[in-house]
Amino acid sequence: MRNRLILSALTAAFLSVPPIAKAEVANSPETLALAGILDNDTFDRAGLSIGHRAQYWMPVFDTLLYTAPDGKTMPNLATEWRFNGDGTELTLKLREGVKFSDGTPFNAEAVKANLEYLRDGVGQNTWMAGAIKSVEIVGPVEVKLHLKEPDPGMLFNLATVGGAMASPATLGKADSKMLPVGSGPYIYDTARSVTGRQYVYKRNPDYWNASAFPFETMTITPINDLSARMNALKSGQVDAGAGEGQVVTEAEASKLTVSRLPVDWLGLFLSDRDGKMVKALSDVRVRRALNMAFDEKAILKFVARGYGEVTDQPFVPPSEAFDPSLDGTYQYDPKAARALLAEAGYPNGFSVTMPDIGTLAPYTPIITQQLKDIGVTVSWVKVPPNVTIAELLSGKYPMFLFRLGSQSPWADFNKFAFANSPWNTSKAKDEKLEALLKKAQFTPPGKEQNAAMQAANRYMVENAFFAPWFRIDSIYISNTQVKVQMQAQNIVPWPRNYAPAK
Amino acid sequence: MIRYLLKRVVSGIALLCLVSTVTFMMVFGATGNVARNILGENATADQVTALNSRLGLDRPLMVQFGDWVSHAVRGDLGPSWTMSESVASALASRLPVTLSMVTIAVAMMALLSAMLGIAAAVRGGWADRVIQIVSVAGFAMPNFWLGLLLVLTFSVELGWLPATGYVSFSASPSAWAASLVLPVTSLVLSGIASASQQIRGAVIDALKQDYVRTLRARGVSPRSVLYRHALRNAMPAALTVLSVQFIALLGGAAVIERVFAIPGMGSLTVSAALIGDVPVLMGVVVTLIIVVVLVNILIDFLNAWANPKVRMS
Repeated sequence: MRNRLILSALTAAFLSVPPIAKAEVANSPETLALAGILDNDTFDRAGLSIGHRAQYWMPVFDTLLYTAPDGKTMPNLATEWRFNGDGTELTLKLREGVKFSDGTPFNAEAVKANLEYLRDGVGQNTWMAGAIKSVEIVGPVEVKLHLKEPDPGMLFNLATVGGAMASPATLGKADSKMLPVGSGPYIYDTARSVTGRQYVYKRNPDYWNASAFPFETMTITPINDLSARMNALKSGQVDAGAGEGQVVTEAEASKLTVSRLPVDWLGLFLSDRDGKMVKALSDVRVRRALNMAFDEKAILKFVARGYGEVTDQPFVPPSEAFDPSLDGTYQYDPKAARALLAEAGYPNGFSVTMPDIGTLAPYTPIITQQLKDIGVTVSWVKVPPNVTIAELLSGKYPMFLFRLGSQSPWADFNKFAFANSPWNTSKAKDEKLEALLKKAQFTPPGKEQNAAMQAANRYMVENAFFAPWFRIDSIYISNTQVKVQMQAQNIVPWPRNYAPAK
Repeated sequence: MIRYLLKRVVSGIALLCLVSTVTFMMVFGATGNVARNILGENATADQVTALNSRLGLDRPLMVQFGDWVSHAVRGDLGPSWTMSESVASALASRLPVTLSMVTIAVAMMALLSAMLGIAAAVRGGWADRVIQIVSVAGFAMPNFWLGLLLVLTFSVELGWLPATGYVSFSASPSAWAASLVLPVTSLVLSGIASASQQIRGAVIDALKQDYVRTLRARGVSPRSVLYRHALRNAMPAALTVLSVQFIALLGGAAVIERVFAIPGMGSLTVSAALIGDVPVLMGVVVTLIIVVVLVNILIDFLNAWANPKVRMS
């Protein structure tokens, strides 16, 4: 009797402490079920991200502009825009009759509140509003952004995190990190969402452009592991998710659709161009020799499985700074590389220390071998995965291999071309380049500005700031239930790029 | 009995304090890159400094420790540095996931290994050999490999069970059970080997004791000798191995959580460690120590209940 009582008590105790969270929403034809690689970190307006995490907030927060799959800037909440003559003022005409899902009207005041909140906040993309000096309310549906100086990336910014519009009533509120309120095509379904497990979005009945978003419900399930993501795709739990080169064959054999588009580029950052750590790197002939030392075609074919395009420039189409004529500037030629090193005064090569990054480990022995072929000896320093970015940006390493995402050309130049750019890790200053960049910045948007940016790109390629290997395809896998359009300049598609297959 | 349990509770609290202190010194002493990780590559040095200050990382380590302890004893583990929810909220949603998986796995393991261990000990001969071979084969199979095999067969090919994810019990008991079948099976099969071998050995030892011979001589039925007397004496060894399995599974579940994309403590720990979310790591450590201490106390209690010699000692 006593034993039975104890057993019953234990069973009751176990069953009475069920997990507190709620249900999973199953996939259906009316649902767009996505697998995310990364979990969402926040819905706070100032902390939003592009890349993988854009899929979490974009259903809720509509943007002032948007970028079409081919990278073109399109009207959205802002229906018209125009710069003044010197590019220091941007006037936006806003869509009328739009409301946030909490009933707050979308108008010039809402735009001002959002842009100022982002600019003054703490987050990965506050720089997207960094050029804004002030926001002038011209009328109920018209604002004028006064810029500290021309920002050729401003339209791209306003089409992504920079232009995301949250209800002004929620800005800065503690619960806005978990409860987003916007005017977008979907409303975040807090009752059915579980942080870290599944994010559920239901259609916003008042959305002004519902036909662009055909699904009634959208779910995003964070699945970090590639095998698990593939299993979820193959079993129909999710409709689409990011893949990688090694699963393309498996995906095709399972009758899944594989979409590809180059977004990132992989190559060496020849950072120590002032020669503070390795004097040889201050000589452009040495840096050109390093560009000729690698058999990129073979590396792309055998390590990256051919999913990409060999390149010599740090920009990816459709970036306006991309110049197709620059690809092929440096051919694989170890003999000519050795001759260049000898000409620069390094007939016996030199030694260099590089960081060994876990995610790029397959390339480590190749770099060691191919640099050894031209006389350069590499010693490697292991970098733990949790400090990779901080270590690379610390300026400790004269050169390193890295995979960098390409966005708007101006955002890219700001990443690595200026003396204070984060990815110019040695903070090397080049006045000729900065003059070219200044020219691009102050040229009105259009063909002339594009040509000016391409000139700056050419300068960097000819002076071998980097040794780019290839543009890497972003690989995205979907089932037969949905059609997916890849998104230029983002590693995963925007929510508007999905449609039912039938 | 109460004095015995009190002693166990006090030693558990001492363990909690010691491990928390050591962990704090290790993880908070290495937070130099956290602000950069959070703010990303485009943050200026001033922004990084400001965030370090906001997170309190510019204070002496002992001051930070005192602050953390004073909040932790009140149940406030602070906000996560990288997630939108508090540490307590993150733990509250993840711990039940892992606990339900591990508890069911250990219960299944106890049942199956007891059946196999007793059968091997009592029957001997070919049955013993077959059970030992099967147990060792189970032990040799890595649980993540088994998990992949199971998911390919029962989810992808047959479509009987979900390939990934977790559904809470309160939402749908049947979906909850379905979401746990494959992860629990992966955990159980590789753990049965050692538990069944321990039970087999303990039962064989118990059956060789003088009191068993006396009981048999008095005409007590073999069933009663086995279940009422021998098993009771074999219980401490079995309970100890099961408690060790429980603790091992709490750590080992991280791999299975990854294979099945289950949002439990393992995935929380891995992501927090990768980005340097120290408050979450501390919360995980404290929670797991409390669970381990409670499991050990429960095992001690069961041992004491089953075996008067333990109470006396």
